[in-house]
Amino acid sequence: MTYLLYAPMLIILAGVLGAAAAGAPGLNRRLTVVRLARLLALAPLSAFGWLLWAVVVLGSGPALVWRVDWLPSLGLGLGFYFDHLSALFALLVTGIGTLVVLYTGYYFKSEERPWGEWRFLTYLLLFMMAMLGLVLAGDVITLFVFWEGTSVTSFLLIAYKSKDEAARRGAFKSLFITGGGGIALLIGLLLLSYVAGSSDLITILASGDTVRESVLYPAMLGLIALGAFTKSAQTPFHIWLPDAMSAPTPASAYLHSATMVKAGVYLLARLNPALGFTDLWFWLLSLFGLATMLTGAYLGLKQNDLKALLAYSTISQLGVLVVLIGQDTEIAFKALVIGVVAHALYKSALFLVVGSVDHEAGSRDLRRLGGLARVMPFSFIVGLVAALSMAGLPPLFGFLAKETLLATITHPTVPPAVDLIFPVATVVAGAFVLAQAGMLIWDTFLGKPRDPAIHAHDPPWAMVLAPALPALLSLAVGALPEPEGLARFLADAAAEVYGGKVKVSLALWTGITVPLLLSVIAVSLGLGLFLARRRVRALQMRVDERWSFNILYAGLFSLLDRASALATRMQSGKLRAYLTVILLGVVALVAGSGGLSNWESLAVLSLPGLDFTGEVAVLRVFALLVIVAAAAATIVLRRDFSAIVALGASGLAIAVLMVLEPAPDVALVQVVVDILTVVVLLLVLTRLPREQRRRADMLIMRESDSRQGRLNLARNALVATVSGALVAFVTLIALTSRPRLSAVTPYYEGSAKALTGAKDIVGAIIVDFRALDTLIEIVVFSLAGLGVYTLLRYAAIKSGQKAERISPPITSHLPTLGIGGRETSPFVHALAYVSLPLSMVIAVVHMMYGHDQPGDGFTAGVTVSLALGFWYVVFGYHEVRRRLTWLRPAPLIGGGVLLVVISGVAAALLTGSFLGHVDFGGRLGLPLPQGFDLSTSFLFEVAICLTVLGSASYLLDTLGHPGEEVT
Amino acid sequence: MELLTALAVGALFGVAIFQMLRRNAIRSAIGLILLGAAINLFLLSTGAYQGLVAAYADAVGQRSDALPQALILTAIVISMGGISLVLALLLVLSARYGTSDLDEIDELRG
Repeated sequence: MTYLLYAPMLIILAGVLGAAAAGAPGLNRRLTVVRLARLLALAPLSAFGWLLWAVVVLGSGPALVWRVDWLPSLGLGLGFYFDHLSALFALLVTGIGTLVVLYTGYYFKSEERPWGEWRFLTYLLLFMMAMLGLVLAGDVITLFVFWEGTSVTSFLLIAYKSKDEAARRGAFKSLFITGGGGIALLIGLLLLSYVAGSSDLITILASGDTVRESVLYPAMLGLIALGAFTKSAQTPFHIWLPDAMSAPTPASAYLHSATMVKAGVYLLARLNPALGFTDLWFWLLSLFGLATMLTGAYLGLKQNDLKALLAYSTISQLGVLVVLIGQDTEIAFKALVIGVVAHALYKSALFLVVGSVDHEAGSRDLRRLGGLARVMPFSFIVGLVAALSMAGLPPLFGFLAKETLLATITHPTVPPAVDLIFPVATVVAGAFVLAQAGMLIWDTFLGKPRDPAIHAHDPPWAMVLAPALPALLSLAVGALPEPEGLARFLADAAAEVYGGKVKVSLALWTGITVPLLLSVIAVSLGLGLFLARRRVRALQMRVDERWSFNILYAGLFSLLDRASALATRMQSGKLRAYLTVILLGVVALVAGSGGLSNWESLAVLSLPGLDFTGEVAVLRVFALLVIVAAAAATIVLRRDFSAIVALGASGLAIAVLMVLEPAPDVALVQVVVDILTVVVLLLVLTRLPREQRRRADMLIMRESDSRQGRLNLARNALVATVSGALVAFVTLIALTSRPRLSAVTPYYEGSAKALTGAKDIVGAIIVDFRALDTLIEIVVFSLAGLGVYTLLRYAAIKSGQKAERISPPITSHLPTLGIGGRETSPFVHALAYVSLPLSMVIAVVHMMYGHDQPGDGFTAGVTVSLALGFWYVVFGYHEVRRRLTWLRPAPLIGGGVLLVVISGVAAALLTGSFLGHVDFGGRLGLPLPQGFDLSTSFLFEVAICLTVLGSASYLLDTLGHPGEEVT
Repeated sequence: MELLTALAVGALFGVAIFQMLRRNAIRSAIGLILLGAAINLFLLSTGAYQGLVAAYADAVGQRSDALPQALILTAIVISMGGISLVLALLLVLSARYGTSDLDEIDELRG
């Protein structure tokens, strides 16, 4: 039975779409951000409700799984996995999410832009969706996708106030560090899937022993841990979290305290059955976690910004959670689940309270605030409760978290090497955190107001309610008699991480135990620190002014800058140098990787010159000679014009070779395209200014005069010879060692007539069997034409020249000037008048009968374009524009592509495959001439002709335009 | 026959490379066109030389290989498109820098 495990995400998706839709213009008038937030808060609320119901369905049974296989052959799929651990995190995400969304509305309420912050809500809900996907993922690849999704949405949220440079820098830093960790995580997860045999979570969790004994285990663990550590801000990667505080407070309260930073913790907890219970796991997580715990606690005390203080205490707590996962004892996982819930509750409450203070008082600086309890009593009470939980004092939930933490640290299974350090470090960190909590409450709310400029008052009800609920829960769970359901739920969640049964009791008083004594010590130490905080903070400021992990980060980037400057200095900027290097490199690669290895296949070739049976072979040799000689002539000829003509000759000789093959279709195309190429090249040549042309010709003539020039020539000749020799060798091997019988062609030969009704097999391949290739090809060709137009004419038109649609005055009484500005003779005019309609007739014949005879849409289009080119040459640009008003390139191209897409879709509807063959004429019973089928092939040919014609006329039109400056 | 074809393809390729490395922009473009031609020739010659009759369904005798011909057809048209774009780029370049000497256009870095 598959459960709708994707339902919560769909609900949030609806929220996202709703928020995005709120940004539509015209809707904004009546929808204030407060109303929008209240409306949108329903989405996470319903998701929360759905998840509660799902927990009830889950009971104490096995996990619920939902999976859709996307690529079964590769084992790729989208999967969701719902057990108590996922439920715990998902409930936290949606529950706190509801409160944050509600809070956001009031936080951003402003008179000037009542609808302004719909984008923030969109990002927030998008993040919620990604986070839900992460904790509900049942497949490590799915998990990774949502992991990266949270990184990206976090980036968007941090950089929300994009004009603020601190925000941009903070967002970049967070993305850089978490994204880098993400890459490591991907590799680690792939290794894990490889070792476990599948990327499915159930398989991975069941193959723990295989994973732990694999030789790849250290690498796998290191990489996955790197990903988790960067996300959960472990030292030394914690530097992004304080900078991320430049995000708007609702985002900080949601992402960087309660949900996103816990993603790493979730990952480690989730994979513990597979990766945990080894020494490496223990030491890795304990050491990093401990370092983080101490760093966060110590640095938090010296902060002046309230949000930074909370950020560092979050870092400390995350360190604690990582240490707990590393312990791998039953009590550790009990402490873990309790710690996760307690921290989420008090930290989100505190952040929201700080946000209210910031919102109402306008400042977050501890040195300026004070005495706000009088004017913001409700926020004060809520903040006090949450701060007491953070300090770990009874009867709050935070106290329970501290107790279980201390019990884990003093557990007998801790190795003797660290069994003193752990408790000492935890006590010290706990003391610092208590001092921070005290500082937060005392210096903000109590005492005398320090800055007279601050006038505050209580915030709107929602901004008090939102933090009040988590704070209240912290109190309720601790103070009220033990809630059975919650305890059982937490026990089940912990059991899934541990892999065995875990007992969770939420009783506050368990007798006088070592943890209790340590707690008392920590509280006393903390109180001492709090009372002496001014002196402690001054000491801190003096000591570590110069040293911080941020130096590493800055150092990395300055290294990158220097490396890129070095790389830029090594570039010469000249195209020819790069080309030479590329070519030599490719030649070396091909030669070195075995391209020269097949010497023995040369034994089969027969010496030429002894085997000329028949004129065809002689003609072939002749054609080859002309091809090579004409090409060589382009080197030697001095004037560009002559070189172009020689190029044309070479192309026509290739066409001769094709006719001898025999390959009539291809030969036709080669002929017309060759002529068109020559025409285009000549037009380009005439567009170059005369002076440039002269200098270019001088370049060729004087190339061998200077010593530098001769060196250049020699070097080019060497590169050319080497690559030519390599290609000749490779060709020879290819020609002599290929199979004599083609594997694919017999299929085409056999089914051309049967499936498509065509006798011309080449045409059938192009228009029917591989129609999609041809569709893309004509699109590419049109893009080239459009590109030429844009490059050469669009800029000119935009820069103020009049659009050329208005026809110039009729010049019939003046002699018509051809392209060179010379008068053309009436004989040539007559030729031009005749050639265009004739070319169109030829084109129609090619399109209609291309099925059975040489010729197809390409030749049709290019033939008409050649006639068109002739018109440009004979009549000049303006006359052609005046006479051929029907020739609009863009509609031609668009019409062609549209035609083929429509006929393809019709074929899809009729035969089930896009661009399949459908004989419309046969189906409708139309009386058509012999040999002509009104079919999709014919429509495709017409489409090809139209697009090729349109594109070529773009070319000719653009290049034939008289003498304007090319910008 | 194979040897001659291979030599011709190699020679054409070498000529094309030599042209591409020259200073004159138009010769460079010519080199590019020759490169395309060399490749087309190579493709053509992979269809075996045994073909005596054109590739038509009702032809009698050994048909020449139709598949490389279809591939060459596509290649010819697309390389035509590519070349026209390259030529337009050359025009813009020569207008911007006032020269068609490729060595004087040396800002391809950074």
